[in-house]
Amino acid sequence: MQQASSSSTASDGWRVDRFVVGAALVGLLMLGGLIWLETAPFLLALFAIGALLGVALYHGAFGFTAGWRNLVVKHRGGGMRAQLLLFGLTAVLMVPILGSDQGELIGAVAPVGTSLVVGSFMFGLGMQLGGGCGSGTLFTVGAGNLRMAVTLLFFIIGAVLGSLHLPWWLDLPGFDPVSLIDGFGIAGAVGIQLVALAGLWVWIDRRERRTHGSIERSELLVTGGEHGVLRTLISGRWPFAWAILALALGNVMTLVVGGSPWGITFAFNLWGAKALQALGVDMSQFEFWTWDYPAMALKDSVLVNITSVMNFGLLLGAMLAAGLANRFNEASRKRPEGRPFLAAVIGGLLLGYGARLGFGCNIGALFSGIGSASLHAWIWFVSAFLGSLIGIRLRPWFRLPN
Amino acid sequence: MQAAYKRYRVILVLAAILGLVLVDHLNSPTFAFNMGNGNVETTLNQRDSTACAPCGAPCPSSRD
Repeated sequence: MQQASSSSTASDGWRVDRFVVGAALVGLLMLGGLIWLETAPFLLALFAIGALLGVALYHGAFGFTAGWRNLVVKHRGGGMRAQLLLFGLTAVLMVPILGSDQGELIGAVAPVGTSLVVGSFMFGLGMQLGGGCGSGTLFTVGAGNLRMAVTLLFFIIGAVLGSLHLPWWLDLPGFDPVSLIDGFGIAGAVGIQLVALAGLWVWIDRRERRTHGSIERSELLVTGGEHGVLRTLISGRWPFAWAILALALGNVMTLVVGGSPWGITFAFNLWGAKALQALGVDMSQFEFWTWDYPAMALKDSVLVNITSVMNFGLLLGAMLAAGLANRFNEASRKRPEGRPFLAAVIGGLLLGYGARLGFGCNIGALFSGIGSASLHAWIWFVSAFLGSLIGIRLRPWFRLPN
Repeated sequence: MQAAYKRYRVILVLAAILGLVLVDHLNSPTFAFNMGNGNVETTLNQRDSTACAPCGAPCPSSRD
């Protein structure tokens, strides 16, 4: 039986995959309805924010992994500069909120030490082998990418393994979180980070100009190409500026509504641990799952876990966006096998294990960490980039294009 | 042009995810509380302000 991915065809050639769009909308309505009926309005709001973030990630093609690789391999810095703009804008918006808060909000701060350095290095390596970071893996799975589904499965396995080992890693040398807001105040924390981001911007510009003689300013484009604003908004592809704005505002809204910034990978831990528990494994024998937050999350429904709820929204939002762009599952025409499959397995494991040791992924540790003015985010950035350099070198062996 | 996917697979995957979420929820304290069982402790707001990291890890200084 050959059921086609039939697409509707509008008179002007605008093609939308009605089946995928319909399925994503039904999924959003059913899960959203369940959250509405069974939990609280703020969780429904976070589910909606997650869906919008999924749309923004897909339509903006906002991949951290490819941005880093383009800088290293092609010496093109557009993707990387877009990330720096995102970090800068988020810090400007989020640091004052966190700095003036009276204890209601919790920033994405984390300890600095061996665990962070090793974990983020492993994560960076895994990004290049697995083909995506935390957000990249999730939104591409939502868009129907089978190889990334393999990466996600092993991401979850790696994250659970990491959670079992994290207490041991935490006993290695390290120190408590360092908040730049506590040390330098709101203006100082924003200023220091903007200077650091500007320094990176200049370095990237020089690298691109030295190789190509000019700089492609793709990150500064604000118009949507030949199709007009409305059509581009609905079916993509968004210019970087739109995605930057949507992602920064989405993270700020997550902080305001949920009480802490956007994160992704804790949910992978939780889903894996719940699966093991369903198979009869007593997770309370592992120290990680006796800590208050993991224990609370493991005991209760995934529908009251913010990261899980947002991830569900993100998956469905990306699916909706892929349907609107008529590109659902396009990346899976060639099935993953052989070395590329092995890369997805190894990459996924490294991503999961690294995310747990490094206190999050490119979203929870890097993006939200810089938005929270935490020192650990910068160390994560450097260490993950170094890991990524190794991963880029290994990609040809796994028959992955650079 | 060859189809990029099969519809029934998409429906199956979505149904499986929804089913797993439902099974998890139906066995949770939150569902029990919603069904009128006031004897259970729910965690509608899962936050631990004493933790040192978003995953709930304690501070290295507290592990000596």
